[in-house]
Amino acid sequence: MPGQILDGFIHGLVYVAIALGLTIVFGMLRLVNFSHGAFYAIGAYVGYAVTERFGLIAGLIAAPIAVALFAFIYDRALLRYFYEKDTTAQILLTFGVAIVVEETLRLIFGGTTRTYTIGAVLSGSLNLGFITYPTYRVGLAVGIIILILAVYFFIERTDYGLIVRAGVRDRTMVQLLGGNVAQASTVIFVLGASLAGFVGAAASPIYDVDPGTGFQFLVPSFVVIVIGGLGSFWGAVIGGLIVGELQSLTGLLFPPGADVVIYVAMALVLLIKPTGLFGQSEIIGR
Amino acid sequence: MKALRFYALVVAGLVLFPFVIHPIGGYPALATQILIVSIATMGLNLLVGYAGLLSYGQAMFYGVGAYMALLTISKFFPDHPNFWLALTLAIGFVTLMALLIGSLVVRLYGIYFALLTLAFAQMFFFIVFKWRDLTQGDDGISGVSIPPLPLGLTSLDLTTAFPPLDLGIFGNLSDVKYWYAFVAIVALGVLAFVRTLTQSQFGEVLGAIRENEGRSTFVGFEPARYKLAAFTIAGALTGLSGALRAMFDTSISPDALTVETSGNFVIYAVVGGVKTLLGPFAGTTIILFLQNVVSAKTDNWRLFEGIIFVLVIVFLPGGILGTFKRKRSRALLSETIRTTPPHDATQPTAGGAAL
Repeated sequence: MPGQILDGFIHGLVYVAIALGLTIVFGMLRLVNFSHGAFYAIGAYVGYAVTERFGLIAGLIAAPIAVALFAFIYDRALLRYFYEKDTTAQILLTFGVAIVVEETLRLIFGGTTRTYTIGAVLSGSLNLGFITYPTYRVGLAVGIIILILAVYFFIERTDYGLIVRAGVRDRTMVQLLGGNVAQASTVIFVLGASLAGFVGAAASPIYDVDPGTGFQFLVPSFVVIVIGGLGSFWGAVIGGLIVGELQSLTGLLFPPGADVVIYVAMALVLLIKPTGLFGQSEIIGR
Repeated sequence: MKALRFYALVVAGLVLFPFVIHPIGGYPALATQILIVSIATMGLNLLVGYAGLLSYGQAMFYGVGAYMALLTISKFFPDHPNFWLALTLAIGFVTLMALLIGSLVVRLYGIYFALLTLAFAQMFFFIVFKWRDLTQGDDGISGVSIPPLPLGLTSLDLTTAFPPLDLGIFGNLSDVKYWYAFVAIVALGVLAFVRTLTQSQFGEVLGAIRENEGRSTFVGFEPARYKLAAFTIAGALTGLSGALRAMFDTSISPDALTVETSGNFVIYAVVGGVKTLLGPFAGTTIILFLQNVVSAKTDNWRLFEGIIFVLVIVFLPGGILGTFKRKRSRALLSETIRTTPPHDATQPTAGGAAL
């Protein structure tokens, strides 16, 4: 039972890291990015390729950089022309790009599942007092929590964060006051993408990689941000942990329901409180 | 008169379709599948194009319709398998399902609508996937022997071929099974239904709601009702499509309910052109035909599909037929402008009045 709760917690943290990018970009650009899962997948594969040659640390550094580069080019070359278009056009474009990325990864790496080889130290277990738990998972949890806090401070304490937060409230006004919203949008988009890319590399030693990985993590991440409230920072955090635990604990109590339960939860939230648990369009929910 | 010409052209197209694709690598069974899938795409077009609701969950209606049809034959009534019964139960069940789900989802807009339909589709996928006793899980159901189609006193085995007749490069008449004729008649009926619907007051109100929901409410229409009707009809058509496809293939697997399937319907509709009557046919035909040709040569069909889709979104936002239609109406407009003499040239003194 404690093992299941911990598994759910780690799974939830991975969702949080993916969902943060989704939710902040939605808050800032009103853009729902169906290709956000592709960032995770690119990170996972780049991480895999680099890890096999130079070790895991190099893989964890290379993945977010590669994804940041991809996201920057993607944003400048294609996505920015769709900022002002309607939701439907944005969904369709990002959905199409997601397919292209997934299939390109399949072309390069093949359709088989890839498993990271991590060092003997990380493959061991750690005694946490109440349970013995794999070292790598403990490290992953700590790493993601640090990242979540870093993103929080970036948005809350830096000048960029100020423009981002204000841009979410009133884009035009920030522009009138001289804030470079367009640049901040790109920075936020690239940041969210590289976060997903990093987690793609960091989580793949646990979950393995195949070309469908992006969509596999994207769809539950939508559930996360809908439950938490689109655009809400803490909503994504709480939503991610709820979804992770729901999956894990239902898997323990009623295995066939493990995958269904999160969609039921999402439907209930949308029907009862469509703005999610933490309201709408607030990056920092207070 | 215009309607007569429209239907004459469509009927001619349907008769020629399985033959004209023969020289370019098509075959009648593919033509049958394309028509069947087009029915689902027409349903989605009603939602996306006319009601402005982007559903990412059409696979649930398609898949459930397919499973209902095959299970009716092989499991619910194995002693009295009946074609019409299978079709009726499938459509009836899916219609009810669409009505219930629709009454929950039509209150939402844009991204929330897309995500909620996606969530419902995922629920049905996992239910079908995990309910092994009924659905045989990921093995799917296959090898179901489909009963003949009862027609009055006789019955017709749809797998029967037409009599042989050599058509040169267009193949042989005997390549075509009765299945094609049956599906073509159903598709024609669906097309006529959708055409009547979109040209009626219902269609116009739907368009008004899409363009400005608030204003159409003030005029006295209830948007939720119209959207629910559109959602239910789209669901029913998709269920019909799934049931026909499963009975034609005699098999079905949970793949029919995946996000990928839902996304495929969106691709067909968008590539062909939403808000056009024949766009769903065009989109489904182009994509499924290319899939058939490309898959024979490489494993990377879906990469091609993705690239085509992105190119259409970026360069032809109205879809292939939608762009064609707009070009033509623009040409007509410039024609009118050119042939109408400008006012100030003939009546210089009326310039002020014209302003």
